[in-house]
Amino acid sequence: MNALGFAWRSLVRQPARAALGILGVAAVGALLFDMLLLSQGLITSMRDLLDRYGWDIRVVAGELPRQGPRIRDGVTASETIAMLPSVSGVLLVRVADAKIDRPSGTALNASFQGVDVRTSAGTGVARRPPWTILRGRDAAGPGEVVISESIASQAHLAPGASLMLRPSCVSEHEALPPTTMRVSGIAEFPFASETEDTIGGSFAALRNACSGNVGDEVDVLLVTSRSDADVTAAAIRAARPDLNAMTNDDVVGRLQQTGFSYFRQISTVLTAVTVSFAVLLITVLLTVSVNQRLGEIAALRALGFSRMRVVKDVLSESALIVGIGGLLSLPLGLLLATGLDDILKGMPGIPAELHFFVFERGALAIHLSLLLATALIAALYPMRIVSSLPIAATLRDEVIG
Amino acid sequence: MKGFTGFKGFRGFRGFAGSGLFVALVLVLSVEASTQSVRLKPDTTSTPPDILITRQLAESEHLSVGSVVTIAIDPAGDRAREFRIAGIYEPTPNPSRLGVVPREVRLHLPDLLDLTRPTGGVPGTEYVSSINVALTDPNDAAAFANDVNARMPGVVALPSSQAAGSAGPFRVLERFHLAIAVVTIIAATVFLLALTIMLVDERRQTVGVLRLIGLPVRRILIQIFIEGVIVAAAGAAFGLLLAVASERLINGFFQWKYDTALVFVRITRDVAVTCTSIAVPLGAAATVVASWALLRRSGLRLVRR
Repeated sequence: MNALGFAWRSLVRQPARAALGILGVAAVGALLFDMLLLSQGLITSMRDLLDRYGWDIRVVAGELPRQGPRIRDGVTASETIAMLPSVSGVLLVRVADAKIDRPSGTALNASFQGVDVRTSAGTGVARRPPWTILRGRDAAGPGEVVISESIASQAHLAPGASLMLRPSCVSEHEALPPTTMRVSGIAEFPFASETEDTIGGSFAALRNACSGNVGDEVDVLLVTSRSDADVTAAAIRAARPDLNAMTNDDVVGRLQQTGFSYFRQISTVLTAVTVSFAVLLITVLLTVSVNQRLGEIAALRALGFSRMRVVKDVLSESALIVGIGGLLSLPLGLLLATGLDDILKGMPGIPAELHFFVFERGALAIHLSLLLATALIAALYPMRIVSSLPIAATLRDEVIG
Repeated sequence: MKGFTGFKGFRGFRGFAGSGLFVALVLVLSVEASTQSVRLKPDTTSTPPDILITRQLAESEHLSVGSVVTIAIDPAGDRAREFRIAGIYEPTPNPSRLGVVPREVRLHLPDLLDLTRPTGGVPGTEYVSSINVALTDPNDAAAFANDVNARMPGVVALPSSQAAGSAGPFRVLERFHLAIAVVTIIAATVFLLALTIMLVDERRQTVGVLRLIGLPVRRILIQIFIEGVIVAAAGAAFGLLLAVASERLINGFFQWKYDTALVFVRITRDVAVTCTSIAVPLGAAATVVASWALLRRSGLRLVRR
């Protein structure tokens, strides 16, 4: 019988303690797996979100989109940028606050995204808007908008319905007259949080809702480049040095440096604590188990089992506990990650499509490597005990005891 | 800031100051000194009004007390004015701005209003973004907020305790940490059970002898329970000592990492009591549960005779 088979029989002989050891490793492993998913999950998710809609560069007046002043001459700036040879198209995004009147209940607070396209070929060129239509069709013209699922359910609106809204286009204290718009579709807004109610439409629709009171200001320009995004961003900076042109990598880099790094740090700390915890506990489990079987191990040695063979038995036992527990930890970890992700997505301002825990092969590889190292390190001390076991003295003690 | 009430969206605060609605008014207005919003340029030619700057700004721009800087509210440097740095301060840690280096300037309110007032704007008609109010009796915060809300439509007054909202980032983090703590406790309990089963099994013969000499199961169980409590209490005490030792380490690391005075880990009396009240009963219960299976066997079987 090989060492693994022998170790398996040792575990099966004590089913309760083996099961508890494996369950413990599964629980700790699940937490470890989640921390590894968390360490890069937010960044991976954000990068995916930024890349998904095809815009390579974001041009803003401040440091990050919607976290600084608006671009004062946004329309002019978009036309300048659209004329650059490396630019394929520019999407202007202007955001205004709006209140949506409901037949019953208080008005809903929403943000209204007005978008328009500029290319070297002029205006009106079809370009994917920053939302995905779920039902109905995209908004067209100054009288139509798309709304988020949240607004649709709260205000009982469906495609084809009329929507009365009161926007605040320049400051939150404006009191503009209500405007009636037609809902052409229900859309998903990737950068809106789960609790944020959002309306989308053309720049003309926003201008219409604001009674023309929007000027040329825009919040962000989304640029699609024809070639390398870095080269295009440099060209935009050269053309408009007063604006901040950021590639998707730049945005992710900025987020990594700021608040998002907290999760990387906390995941590193918890990974270290979890691994130490697992090593310590498995070491204790194996050591106590080996100590209880010293007589048995000495008898095996006396029967001809080599020193290396008994060491392999202990190592195999450790590998089995950690291996089975580790396998169980994967589905458990994914389940736990779903729950933890839901908790963290309760943070204000987190886009609904952003995830804190994202499965990556790299994370799985690190998880398996750490479990392998845990099995090995945890077995070191008990392996030392069995390798240095004095056969005759142990057997004598066992008989006398 | 308990007892402070903040309200937003208010124009013409000077008139409001005379209404006698509040006892003390604290206005704290700051302008971020990022390159986009405010431009600072060292200047040594005049003796202008005083300002304070954050330590981080002083370090990044190599400024010191006495330096004269030029401040403008837009990148073009329009309507720039000179100010003298009268002091450098450590900003109050702000959890919601973790990771953002606080490059901030504090000006006297009239200076700030002069600097930011639109061309042609009438003094006294400026906006302020928020007003913090210190009440003589902090317990009146809710009533005071209701009073302001009723008297001043368009103004939102909130007691400080409610200002963060129920879904503030740190409330969410608290729930996240709690969830992780629950998983850790489950994992620790499982391991604890495995360990106690082994430890009890190690004492199988001793327990068997005690049974054979006539000690009732109840008596042995009490003894095991007491042992469990002592071991669990010692473990909890060690855990607390480890936590206190690592508290400084973790705070030191994160304070260095984010250049902030924010405290990330604080072992309070409540935290210690909660941990102990979970760990000790859990440890004692695990010992008793593990022993119970053993004690159900006969004395002879336990001593393997």
